[in-house]
Amino acid sequence: MNGAAPILETRKLSKHFGGFVANDAIDLAVQPGEIRGIIGPNGAGKSTLINLMTGVHQPSSGDVLLAGESLVGRKPHEIARKGLVRSFQVSRVFGNLSLLDNLTAPHLAAARTREACQEGVAKARRLLDLVRLTSLTDAPAKTLSGGQRVLLQAAAGFMMPALTCYLLDEPFAGVNPVIKDQLIALIEEESRARGLTFVIVSHEMAVMRRLCRKITVLIEGRVVAEGSLDEIASRADVVTAYLGKSFA
Amino acid sequence: MFSLELFTQALIAGIVIGVIYALMALGITFIYSIVKMINWSMGEFYMLGSYAQYLIVAYWLGADLWYVAAILSAATVFLIGWLIEPILIKPMFTGGIERRDDYATVVTIALLLLLRNLATAISGPYQRTPGTKLPGVMLGPLPESGARFAAFLAALAAIALFYLLLKRTWLGLALRATSQSRVGAQTAGVDVLSLDKIAFGIGVGLAGLAGALLAPVFMVYPTDGVVTTTKGFEIIVIGGLGSVPGALIAGVALGIAESLGATFIASAYQNAYGFVLLLLVLALRPSGLFGERLRQA
Repeated sequence: MNGAAPILETRKLSKHFGGFVANDAIDLAVQPGEIRGIIGPNGAGKSTLINLMTGVHQPSSGDVLLAGESLVGRKPHEIARKGLVRSFQVSRVFGNLSLLDNLTAPHLAAARTREACQEGVAKARRLLDLVRLTSLTDAPAKTLSGGQRVLLQAAAGFMMPALTCYLLDEPFAGVNPVIKDQLIALIEEESRARGLTFVIVSHEMAVMRRLCRKITVLIEGRVVAEGSLDEIASRADVVTAYLGKSFA
Repeated sequence: MFSLELFTQALIAGIVIGVIYALMALGITFIYSIVKMINWSMGEFYMLGSYAQYLIVAYWLGADLWYVAAILSAATVFLIGWLIEPILIKPMFTGGIERRDDYATVVTIALLLLLRNLATAISGPYQRTPGTKLPGVMLGPLPESGARFAAFLAALAAIALFYLLLKRTWLGLALRATSQSRVGAQTAGVDVLSLDKIAFGIGVGLAGLAGALLAPVFMVYPTDGVVTTTKGFEIIVIGGLGSVPGALIAGVALGIAESLGATFIASAYQNAYGFVLLLLVLALRPSGLFGERLRQA
């Protein structure tokens, strides 16, 4: 797998906010089909990195490449349509829209023909089934619990027609264990069935160990370590800066 | 003084004018929902619609084809809005402006002054009318002018079309999603900046349609949009900012309140009864009949 060209790559990616360096020359190469974890203490620049990759912020310098094509200067909706999709830490579901509409909205870009529309609706129903929200198909999303919103938002990303690479920002934060398991199952299923690439930002070490063979550690805007969770845990500097002594 | 017949008459008259006012309110609330701004120059787009109707009817199509003229007038105002939005409104989101509400307020009030004075400079202060050949009709016990009844029917049709657009089309789904969360819509691949253009165009187009339909009922002059705009803003406060059904129901309620007040209390204060209704609603439901206290992020 290491020989293949990366699907998602950053080259010396940096972002300054005034004098503050949020991301400092980050080099990242994610292979097709990989599930990559990103961990780091609060303020390490994890969300900034995702914002740079998805066009929410423009980098101060450096480059972001999706399948070899630069994304710098692209607008967020263009990047989403190219197949690099993200979820948010704070839920961005459309509260007054039904669950079904929430899921078909990302299918808009592909909905040029009647067949494409029907296909989108069928796919949305399958996803609702998968996350066990079928009984709420026509309910407005604002009636969902926090955890259910997380599931719905994650499911919405899978609806993007061109999806190749999915960035999940803290998808497991504040979610109960049942829903957490459903979300993990969804990621594993989509990874297995469609060969999708995932980048997951999370603090949940148990989940990261289960999902990600390779984890990147960000501290103060820089990549300080990369490898399996066990390899990272053996690094003294990472442990003191982030994982804590009790972890080892 | 009270009689059932008089009451029924006033009620029907109120519903007729209320639905037309609702067009204006829908335009205001729709632009607010998508573009997240209050367009203070709505009355001037109403005025543009009324002048377009006057010009098309008087110099081209004639009064018989008033409905074609109304569609063309609304389309013209849509186009004007669609062209203005990227110049005046878009910098709100792309120009790094920190106080967007202040920016939108200043820009649209400046636009109001510009359009109003342009109209005065070009057409003079004269009151004009496209005229109408529509015969009067009986609505139950109420004799109603043909132009007013036609405006009512056309407004109903426009509202129905607007509703279908929102609920049954992919553009409508994109618009509804954007009104809920602009960032979420972008993530779903929706180009919200081009959607802003369409939404602004549709919103001012509704005002333009109201202007075109009411041109033969009221007169056409540079400040003819003021009264209807005031009603439009009253309606969205009563119905709740951002609510489409609220705009329709509050529009009819306002029309009825004014009509009943004018009939049974004193006609001189017709424009004041709506404000009484407004104060009542604000006292009982500060966020309006259908308004949400806190919009979902």
